[in-house]
Amino acid sequence: MSAADTLSAADRSQVSLRSPNIVMRLNRMGAFHQCRLSFMRTLLRRMKREGWVFTRPVFDIDEKGVGVAVYSAKGPERTYSLVSFAHDLPPEQRSDRVIAHAWDATFALFDGVPTNADIDRLSRNVPKQEAGRVSETELTLLRANRSVRLFEHVVACLAEGRQPDREQVEMVGYLMRTTAVYGSGKFGAADYEAIADRPEFFAPFQAEMLSVFLARAFTLDLAEHLAHCRAPDMAVEIAPDLRRRFGVGNSTGLGLAPFLVNHPVLLNNWIAAREEALVRVRALTDVEAPDVQAFHTMLGRAQRNADDWHSEHPLQIEKLEALHADLALLEAHVQTNFPDGDRPWDRLYEWAEMTLTIEGQEQLVSLMLEPYGSLVDDLTDTMGADEDAAFRIDAAMPLDQLLALVEEIYSWALKIDWAAPGNVARVWYVSAEKLEPRLGERFEEPVEPYEQPLAPGRDATAMHRDIDAWDGHPNVAAFLLRHPEHRHMVRRAQIAARYPYAEIRDNTVSSDLLPIDLLRCKLSFFGANHFDPRSDRWVRINMFQNAPFPDEIAGDDADDWSYPSLTGDGS
Amino acid sequence: MICSLNEIDVMGKRAARGAGYSWGLAEEAGKAVRWLSAFGLPGPESLANLLLGKDGVNYDDFAPVWSDAPWRAPAGLLCPLVAGPALCDRAAEIAAGKEFTLETTALPLLLAPFAAGVAKLIRKPVLLSWDSVEIGFSAAEASIPDICETLTVPTTNSVVCKLAATGIDAVPGRSTSREVDLGTWKALGEFAGRTFAPATEASRLTGAGAGLHDND
Repeated sequence: MSAADTLSAADRSQVSLRSPNIVMRLNRMGAFHQCRLSFMRTLLRRMKREGWVFTRPVFDIDEKGVGVAVYSAKGPERTYSLVSFAHDLPPEQRSDRVIAHAWDATFALFDGVPTNADIDRLSRNVPKQEAGRVSETELTLLRANRSVRLFEHVVACLAEGRQPDREQVEMVGYLMRTTAVYGSGKFGAADYEAIADRPEFFAPFQAEMLSVFLARAFTLDLAEHLAHCRAPDMAVEIAPDLRRRFGVGNSTGLGLAPFLVNHPVLLNNWIAAREEALVRVRALTDVEAPDVQAFHTMLGRAQRNADDWHSEHPLQIEKLEALHADLALLEAHVQTNFPDGDRPWDRLYEWAEMTLTIEGQEQLVSLMLEPYGSLVDDLTDTMGADEDAAFRIDAAMPLDQLLALVEEIYSWALKIDWAAPGNVARVWYVSAEKLEPRLGERFEEPVEPYEQPLAPGRDATAMHRDIDAWDGHPNVAAFLLRHPEHRHMVRRAQIAARYPYAEIRDNTVSSDLLPIDLLRCKLSFFGANHFDPRSDRWVRINMFQNAPFPDEIAGDDADDWSYPSLTGDGS
Repeated sequence: MICSLNEIDVMGKRAARGAGYSWGLAEEAGKAVRWLSAFGLPGPESLANLLLGKDGVNYDDFAPVWSDAPWRAPAGLLCPLVAGPALCDRAAEIAAGKEFTLETTALPLLLAPFAAGVAKLIRKPVLLSWDSVEIGFSAAEASIPDICETLTVPTTNSVVCKLAATGIDAVPGRSTSREVDLGTWKALGEFAGRTFAPATEASRLTGAGAGLHDND
């Protein structure tokens, strides 16, 4: 960071935000990468800045791996504790699906330090997950399963007094993967509104990220503990540099995709923050040498990140090939042509728009923010949302004004033939089986009566048709009294008029839909990398890989781990 | 049982949708029930009473007709989950001094969250009254009388919504109610259940798409 990293309002106004018609397309959202504004990074920066203290007041787990542990994180004003239950799960019951009923580990984030009575209460509820109840003193509820490939290997090696095989560790990347992380009032937990006034929760999903961060420490402690139980005289601990290579896996199914459609203001605020950050960097008139050097370093680390990124899925393999090629082109370009001109970052971005695939363009956007923490990190405080403030419909609006909004925001949808079966092939629905969100085939399965309102393009087109045909009183109130079926769509259109990045500008029920695009968008804002689709609607990621552990935050750079280091070890 | 406000909101939305309301109206029903619970009022109970009493009625029978005259439902009984949003939709007219009178209306307490919505939209105090009940609303607060039979009546002959002449004195000490009667929760759950597709083996295998293997 240098003196030139400040921006005048006049300079800022020289560069425009990218249009939602470019940004809010599914193929681009499915190419997003984590960046400085991602929620995991925001959490660790805050904990470092505020000097959070971490303890493990309880670790009562037997030689079979059954018991309870508590991990506490103490901030300036409050303490949060992850109450962690370890179970002995028969292998045949292990499934990452929502429909599973038992897990290797279950957790709740407790608001404060739990008493024995609290732990006892939680021990009767948390292991049951949805079938139990938590209370307003709990902020999150989560569960995790062991990696069959890695967990036993690590325990066995440690018990024999040697380090686990590095290649195997790097191939899998985690000892456990979370299969659900619930927050905000789920199963009786505290509503987000009840904690929203705490600065540590201004940025989105901070309680969830803190839970996963502490769960990561638990998974390593558990493996080392089991090795020690197996061979008390022989067992060793994992070497610190190898330890960093373990993150927490996360298995994400369809449930996250409807979230983005159901929370348009929140989606806007995430995207708008990243787009504003991009503009601030593009608008810089000078680039100082230390920032150029920082960018070169991060570009090299991004290349290593791409090298470490494995997937068996054909779509992801194709994307990875594009990313490798783009990064090579980018490196060659910046070696000779950067910085150049009045606004070097702007020129670089425009070059990328003309030269790279969307995958490479979005990687560049994230990399361009890296040198400029003091210019962009304040935007994390704008990424939460007061959704209630945008909920009420402005029904005094003249209908012709609503029509104009629809024609501007949904112009892409008005061009689609919604009578063509392929354009409405899919149905989003919720199954009675544990309320699992699913995607069905409209013309092959009897699921249409249960359709969720997750096709705004189709619904906007239907509303447009009915407004055109309307001959009653020409305002929204009169129209909606006769057409209550358009009420959710009026709300969406008015929200999208105020929040430009609120609406996905693509068909979300087409036969071509890839739900993994929606999942990757959301997970990139969490801070994930190495997206590994397991199908068109299921993604695995790794969280906090290479990050410092709780006891290392005070003595380490808490925000220098998102890309692997160039020196071979994790960070 | 003790529920979070988020659970009450989601259950209200799903139950209303399951009872046949459009998605937009169902969203507002969920928020209305949540609002009532946040103010310590029987939100889920009121919704369950309404849905159990009105199940199977067509929208056109219980929605008001666009008119400046007192609102009346073609079938005789106005539904607060339709009339409430319609009142919100005419907030600008209330701000300009117009009084709205609703004739025979079911569960008038369910109109309260919408009157609160009007006050928030127009940033002026609003009054909602029926029988001997009068509730005042400001942008963020409400003066709600103690819970009594009149507050939770199943029907009333007349409800008035208008600008308040003076500011609103919030009633202190009214706390959020997260306790929901089990029978109520079950009744709402049955309506909500209509929005869930029956589980089938085919849907279990393909619908969530865990793909490949999920235990490695």
